[in-house]
Amino acid sequence: DWVIFSKDNTVDPHVRAKIYAKVSEVGGPAIELDGRYKPGPECEGALKDLNDWLGAYDEKRNVLDAKRCMAEANLVKGDLLELLAQWPEEETEKNRIPLRCLTLLVRLTHTLDFEDAVMKVNHHRHLPYIQLSQVGYKRAILHHDTAHILRTVVRICLPAIAQPRHVRNDRMEHYIIWVLHFLTNVLTISRPPNLPSDGGDDSDIARSAVIEAFHQQDIFAFLLTLTSGMGEDYTIQDTAVLEALFHLIKGIDPEKLFMEEKILTSANTDELKGLIQKEKAMLAGYARHAPSRHNRFGTMIWVKRDDERVSTVTGQDVLGNAQKSLQKMDKTKKWNKPKHRGKNKEDVKRKNDFDIKTPITESARKHLRSLVEDFLDSSFNPLFTQLRRSIERNHERVLSEHPLQYFYLVSWFLQAERARRKRSKTQSAESFGLIASVLNQEFFILLNRSMQRYVDEKSWKHLSACMKCFTQILLTVQEMSASSLEEDLDISENIQNRIFYEETNHDRVIQILKSYKDQGFDYLDTCTELAHVFLRMLEQYSKQNIDLQVRSRRRTRRKKKEAAQSEGGSDAEEINGDPDQDMVVAQIVTTERKFDFARFCARFMTQPCINTFVALARLYNDLNADQLKRAHRFFYRVAFKMELGVTLYRVDIIQLFNRMIKGPDPLDKDLPSFKEWEDLVKQIFKRLVKKVQERPELMVEMLFSKIPATMFYLEHGYDRAVSTR
Amino acid sequence: DGSETGLGIDEEVKIAKARKPVAKLDETRLLTPAGIPKLRRIAKTRVKFRGKGHEFSDVARLLNTYQLWLDDLYPRAKFADGLAIIEKLGHSKRMQMMRKQWIDEGKPRENTEQEADE
Repeated sequence: DWVIFSKDNTVDPHVRAKIYAKVSEVGGPAIELDGRYKPGPECEGALKDLNDWLGAYDEKRNVLDAKRCMAEANLVKGDLLELLAQWPEEETEKNRIPLRCLTLLVRLTHTLDFEDAVMKVNHHRHLPYIQLSQVGYKRAILHHDTAHILRTVVRICLPAIAQPRHVRNDRMEHYIIWVLHFLTNVLTISRPPNLPSDGGDDSDIARSAVIEAFHQQDIFAFLLTLTSGMGEDYTIQDTAVLEALFHLIKGIDPEKLFMEEKILTSANTDELKGLIQKEKAMLAGYARHAPSRHNRFGTMIWVKRDDERVSTVTGQDVLGNAQKSLQKMDKTKKWNKPKHRGKNKEDVKRKNDFDIKTPITESARKHLRSLVEDFLDSSFNPLFTQLRRSIERNHERVLSEHPLQYFYLVSWFLQAERARRKRSKTQSAESFGLIASVLNQEFFILLNRSMQRYVDEKSWKHLSACMKCFTQILLTVQEMSASSLEEDLDISENIQNRIFYEETNHDRVIQILKSYKDQGFDYLDTCTELAHVFLRMLEQYSKQNIDLQVRSRRRTRRKKKEAAQSEGGSDAEEINGDPDQDMVVAQIVTTERKFDFARFCARFMTQPCINTFVALARLYNDLNADQLKRAHRFFYRVAFKMELGVTLYRVDIIQLFNRMIKGPDPLDKDLPSFKEWEDLVKQIFKRLVKKVQERPELMVEMLFSKIPATMFYLEHGYDRAVSTR
Repeated sequence: DGSETGLGIDEEVKIAKARKPVAKLDETRLLTPAGIPKLRRIAKTRVKFRGKGHEFSDVARLLNTYQLWLDDLYPRAKFADGLAIIEKLGHSKRMQMMRKQWIDEGKPRENTEQEADE
């Protein structure tokens, strides 16, 4: 038989036979119990053996054979969940079976995420099957007929939680971690996008369904118990909780979470209206230029060129529209410039976890909101302080993705807190003490150090999470400075002092903005937002504090100094010097100087930074109102506040601006920001036309990025008077 | 050893047909008369603007001028691709020297120089 033959081929038949035998030893439906489940006499031993198969066979050999066989044998749904469902609520004697079930479940539901480099033939063979069966596991766990599986699983670690920390032993601590891993696995399983669906609706395994189940089975209470006691009653569970929370909230919009139902409905309606409007505008754009006759009508026109030459363009859509015919001439060219294939390319393709928006249902939104509110009230400070300490000390349990999840989570909850404040604005002013753990010096040190590290290492995903966090902190501080409480004002002033005093912070923001190249949309969005918020706050702050000082660090050149010394005719002894003295000389020298916002701003207006914002503006039809505004403010600043419009006079940028207003596919005219953009572009064009008339050499320069040496002349028409020293 | 003593006459001569080289948009092409020099000529003679109130049509005409110029210079590339290639070329030392020179030619001559010439 073909099926059996292919089955034999996938896994060694002996292995398969042994695992099947073990699975049937676990138990099965019994006739004497009217078909209900009955555990076998050797149930516990069989479960232990199956666990050993996963460890000693699969993990040791780096294969997926045992997992595959267990998936085929329907172990999870047929046995493990039934065993858990039978576990009586009030049990007197010690029972090891639920724990064995849990360890097996955690291993079987664990996300299989291999890098391409370590995938072997065996992985490729089994992965699709196992991934699809994991979807089945999730469905069975969430929607079991008779029992609350999640709640049952949590019961396993309740004895451990009931004990104070000093009485708990290592094994008990790990029970809690196992349960958390199980919850994380349930959250992370989703249908792999590249595999076929069984035709069913996936709404029963979507995030909303998990949130509903968590709410019904009191998992949220369990999570809150752990997070609020973090650092005191629980310590080594911090990263496990972090993972569970991260996968619970990733992709969910914190702003929408706190909207009133009516406002949310109207916001959603507006969104839909906007989309329909957009589609209408798009279709109208096509219809305006669509051919009015059939497609074999055969029109051909000449485009006159100089020297009595002509180019031919076909199709009646180009009739009577010179602009159209030029566009068509360009469009019909077949050659495309080969695209850059760098190592960043893969990151662009692969979306970040938190890049994908996840919609949730109304009731799930309510449940999650109450969790988030409770979390902010009770757990924000303990959890994030404990995690910061673990990350700082670089504990063994802190994996490379944990800092990313940490910073993302902090930024998410800060945003949620701001949304909550906005909602309860009418009520009495609350202090920002609930989120104080991320507004202290230790946190800033960790954040700054991490940011610098990820910039140096070029870990863009991690850097993106740090930037989101930094942006949210800036926004929170800004909100604090508008608070009515004296204490909050002081703290906000203090934090701003600290952030803006260090010149390294300023430099880093510029450096990040400059370094954008093919990192994908999420990075682009995040880094431009950070730059926008940072620049705006700094401007405001430096206006209030006119004599703002910054501390800059400069490395003195030891060699230079030595050369100067030897020139001065010092003896050899001094040149060789003792190492201690050299160290002192080579040490970083810290200086303080007055901060000049205009000069700092000018450093933002360099070509690489402008290119980043141009890259953002190129996606104009996919941007939301905030992003469009961000780009608009930046270009406005460049062209008019800083009088560096000449940096924008580049043919591709001008073409982009022209396209945004005049098409093809222009910005939607009904958008509120359209008028702003039109005015801006018009002003830039006006100056451009004037400049080209005054200085025809600009025609050539418009092809290139400007050289600093000639920029001043092009802008002003005369050279900058340089005082000779 | 036969190949050493013989003159290689007996060996069959293999003719590998060379691929026709693809024309490239590089500095050399950009500096031919059809390149930047032509653009400079156009800038001085043929670019006309209607001025105030016609910003968009003026810029559209300007962009068309560039597109037709680029199409003449390097018909293979689309407008946006061609612009990207040229922009990149502008980073080289040689191009930067040339650009500086073109700008300096357009500058009004300073008084001191004029006096020295006279």
